[in-house]
Amino acid sequence: MLPGGLLAQESQAKIALSVEELPALEGELTLYLGRGEGGLYENVLDAIQQRNPALELNIRRGPTAALANAIVAESRAGVRRANLFWAVDTGAIGLISNEGLARELPQDLTNQLQANFRYEKWSPITGRIRTLPYNTERLTAADVPDDVMAVPDSGLSIGWAPAYASFQSFVTAMRLLEGEQATGEWLQKMDKVARSYAGELGVVMAVERGEVDMGFANHYYTLRLKAGKPDATVDLAFTNNDAGCLVNASGIVALSEGDLPINFIRYLLTREVQSFLSSEAFEIPLVDGVAPPQGLPDLATIQPPDINLTRLADLRPTLDLMRDVGVL
Amino acid sequence: MLQIENLCVDYGPVRVVENLNLTLTEDEILMLVGPTACGKTTILQAVAGLIPIAQGRISLGNWEATPGKSIAPEKRKLGMVFQDFALFPHLTVEQNVAFRLTDMVQADHWLKLLGLDNFRYVKPGTLSGGQKQRVALARTLAHEPSLILLDEPLSNLDAALKDSLRWEIRNALKVAGVPAIWVTHDQEEALSVGDRLGVLNAGVLEQLASPEACFCEPASRFVAGFLGEASFIRGQLKGNHVSTSLGDVPATAVDEATGEVDLLLRPDDLSLAAAVGPGNAKVSWARYEGAYWLYGVALDGGPQLQIRTSHENYFGIGERVGVEVITTHALAAFAIA
Amino acid sequence: MTRWPVSYPLALLIALITAAPIVVLIGLVENPADFLDTRNLDLLVNTLLLMLFTVTGAVIIGVPLAVLTAYVRLPLGKLWLILLAAPLAMPSYIGAFTFYAAFGPGGEIDNLLGISTPSASGLTGATLVMILYTYPFVLLTTRASLLSQDASLINASRTLGLSLPMSLWKIALPRALRGITAGALLSALYTLSDFGTPAFMGLDTFTRVIYVEYNAFGLDQAAMLSLQLLVIVGLILFLESTIGVTLERPGRSLTIWPGRWQVPALLAAVAPIVMLSIVLPLGIFTLWLFREGNAGFELEYAWNSTYVSLLAAAVAVVLALPVAYASIAGRFGRLMDRITYLGFGVPGIVMGTALVYAGLQVPFMYQTLGLLVIAYVLRFLSLAVGSVRSTAEKLDASLTKAARVLGARPSEVFWRVTVPLTFRGMIAGAALVFLEVMRELPATLLLAPTGFETLATYLWRVYEAGYFGRAAIPGLLLVLMSGLGLALMLFGERRAEFGMIEDKKS
Repeated sequence: MLPGGLLAQESQAKIALSVEELPALEGELTLYLGRGEGGLYENVLDAIQQRNPALELNIRRGPTAALANAIVAESRAGVRRANLFWAVDTGAIGLISNEGLARELPQDLTNQLQANFRYEKWSPITGRIRTLPYNTERLTAADVPDDVMAVPDSGLSIGWAPAYASFQSFVTAMRLLEGEQATGEWLQKMDKVARSYAGELGVVMAVERGEVDMGFANHYYTLRLKAGKPDATVDLAFTNNDAGCLVNASGIVALSEGDLPINFIRYLLTREVQSFLSSEAFEIPLVDGVAPPQGLPDLATIQPPDINLTRLADLRPTLDLMRDVGVL
Repeated sequence: MLQIENLCVDYGPVRVVENLNLTLTEDEILMLVGPTACGKTTILQAVAGLIPIAQGRISLGNWEATPGKSIAPEKRKLGMVFQDFALFPHLTVEQNVAFRLTDMVQADHWLKLLGLDNFRYVKPGTLSGGQKQRVALARTLAHEPSLILLDEPLSNLDAALKDSLRWEIRNALKVAGVPAIWVTHDQEEALSVGDRLGVLNAGVLEQLASPEACFCEPASRFVAGFLGEASFIRGQLKGNHVSTSLGDVPATAVDEATGEVDLLLRPDDLSLAAAVGPGNAKVSWARYEGAYWLYGVALDGGPQLQIRTSHENYFGIGERVGVEVITTHALAAFAIA
Repeated sequence: MTRWPVSYPLALLIALITAAPIVVLIGLVENPADFLDTRNLDLLVNTLLLMLFTVTGAVIIGVPLAVLTAYVRLPLGKLWLILLAAPLAMPSYIGAFTFYAAFGPGGEIDNLLGISTPSASGLTGATLVMILYTYPFVLLTTRASLLSQDASLINASRTLGLSLPMSLWKIALPRALRGITAGALLSALYTLSDFGTPAFMGLDTFTRVIYVEYNAFGLDQAAMLSLQLLVIVGLILFLESTIGVTLERPGRSLTIWPGRWQVPALLAAVAPIVMLSIVLPLGIFTLWLFREGNAGFELEYAWNSTYVSLLAAAVAVVLALPVAYASIAGRFGRLMDRITYLGFGVPGIVMGTALVYAGLQVPFMYQTLGLLVIAYVLRFLSLAVGSVRSTAEKLDASLTKAARVLGARPSEVFWRVTVPLTFRGMIAGAALVFLEVMRELPATLLLAPTGFETLATYLWRVYEAGYFGRAAIPGLLLVLMSGLGLALMLFGERRAEFGMIEDKKS
């Protein structure tokens, strides 16, 4: 294993590390992996495992909230099974942090991330941006409002998934940026024109089928749909510097002491892993020097709002607001 | 009039009824008897349309069923009385009897005639076996079928009840004036109740005749053995006599037997007396039957015979006795197996 | 009561263990003050309507299919039974998703065949999907009930001039009422606790609130709402328990020989159900499989699913026996029986978390195969209890008395008389548990040994990631392995059947 000092020096570089520069992983490691993500996260994990034959990697997959609850239950019973928790949701990370279970990460690790994605007790892995997918037979990008607050008055039919965690994070961001009252009014107006779907994949499919003109969804659903069906009649539009183009992140938390969990996280931040997740899973890389997924403009041109992702874990007021308005 | 022609029934690859022919007229009661698994219940189910037939033709009144054209059981206008009564447990006696009736005339008639008037409003679960079977009979008769099928109706009842209910059922059937096929494995029941008797063995009807004819002139050794105690004695057939060690006995050949034959002797064809001199047999066993004694005696140099005598004549086991043939009618002579 | 029936202590123990997750739920509720939120009352209407329509539909489809598979001699009869029961192994969210993808303008049916279909959504769509994935509950429990009936009552009714359909309606079905309601009850509880299907169909139900709370890390709220749902569950359980039974001797069951032209007609009537519940989802996935290609699937998952499901089915049936008999023995036993149902009415993910808390009470077993099987049994014991009870309670008590008089001890009577005569119910119960475990997800995800993957978890993984083509092979294997498992159990049932025929041959 490489001495820590060497790694500290390396971390000053702005360009992401290659796996070649990392210490080999040895020993047993249990990862709780929130949500499935099919073969893609698997491919990453397989590749790490293959590079490190001495690593015994156990993976438990489950819905993010269920795994977070299980980790809390385990710690209350004095049982520790997971060394790492990879969550698709910042809320889950908040829950684990509040229980005091998240371990502080070394600065040389967090420094590898882009400046606005550095956190003390968790490491973002990839980003996802809020988008407005629209039906290309009905609309052009210019027809879609570039101000999220103007969407309800646009006269378009809209699909949304209010029960979906990513949407709720988006509403939380709106609350933080625009205030409770404006957000409440926005929800109220939206409720009159929007059609509800169970998830954001459903929203994107509905847009593509022309059930609605446009919708609210994380970017990758559209990109994945288009990858499987190149002639799909759906494309992405973005708002400008508001909650409508919020960049949220999946993240990982180290739950146990020792170098192994930390070094494992380093692997996830390498050039190779980040560019794989970008090109194959259409996730947004959060280290420098790796290209964003095809079909997505440079983040710099979109101007996402500047928001501390940890604050998005404050879901309770959002749910109360949504429920008071009657959209939940 | 029920007509069954060349009826065959299969269970999967196994043929269980083979080439059955019979005709039933007016108010005739036909008894079908045979050992377990001889196909008698299968015949009833085929006639009722509850199972498909493989070959042949069944017709009654205005319907005719063939393998290609089955008639639903409910369209056959026949009634069935089951071994386990098959009363609907959730309906009262009256509701059972009037199951498909639009007016109560027939139901009332049979409930009264069979002495069930007091049980009209109870559920079958509380009745005794005999009462249950009366309800089942009333139910069947009240629906005025043109043929009644009885599937061992008395086999779940105790002996004393069997005797009286047997006649009650016969009388009811005669009052109703409806033909019936009555399946039983009890030879006494088979001989006493019916107008005609059919004896089945392994799916084949071995004999179909009056009960007397079946008993006295059985068409096969199987029929002879099934209908009552049968002993056989070897002899020479000469015209209408067989000469045996018990003397010349009047006989008819059954299966074109000639020369040496086995002569069927029923226990009442013989007499038994204390030996005069050495006698010709020795008592092997004795069974007390109330009014009678049934003896097994070993004929000197001959077979074991069964003889029934009045209860007044008692012989000890091992006692020497004299056996004689006393019958005057011709006995059945079978070719040697 | 001077003496407790022998089944009581065991049944009490089992009932207490199954109640453990419910106790955990009560413990998780932190703020009982806001127990009632009036805003949830609207959702209750949707929930109850969906349940009502689903149960009605499941009975309308399940009962005739039970008659068909129990009584009618069909070529390859067992195969039809297996196919018709298989939807129970398919997670209903998969069905809902493919329905959504297949129907409506722009759906796959429109794309491929150019046939325009109404889109499946709302209460209608949700009801349709829920019926398709819960009718086998009714099919299996009713079939067991019908098979334990002696044929002579139907024969009597037919010879008295009542047509076959009317005879079945008036004579067979009333006696199968307990079997029918046992299945309807399971269908109702499944509908109450399911989230995926109404969510897909855009129908807002009570479970959605629970899921939103759960996913927003309000475990206490989710637990409390689940307990509210249990009030409805309790009411349904009470209603079901008021239905009476008639005692009768089991005997050789009815056989109906269909005419030559009737066989294709019957199969044609059944085919749409199989088409919609199995062929459609597998077809859609296969279509996507060709578009996307396959990767990452291992046959080991199929084996894992099958053996763990068989194991759970076997354990559940064994544990169901004392509970079922206690339930017949008296009022208190009846209560214990009802307790085992509670877990089935709690949404899977909440129940999964409650099971984690319960499982952590025995840390050395936590996340082992043994605990996973126990968790399955806790969740699905009621499926076996209901089936065993509905066959067992019709047993004539004189049979066990006869055995006692012959000198057998109660345990011997149990194994030599009671068990063989309730074998059909046990098979039906085992089949239900087996199929339900095949599709179980939350408990498997949380409690299986780390790295233990089943068809259901793999299906969920690829589905969550949006790689639907990869769902084709596990989906097909789910149907295949369920079929194999069912065939194995039905083989056992056939042996019981022969026993029945031998002693009534004439």
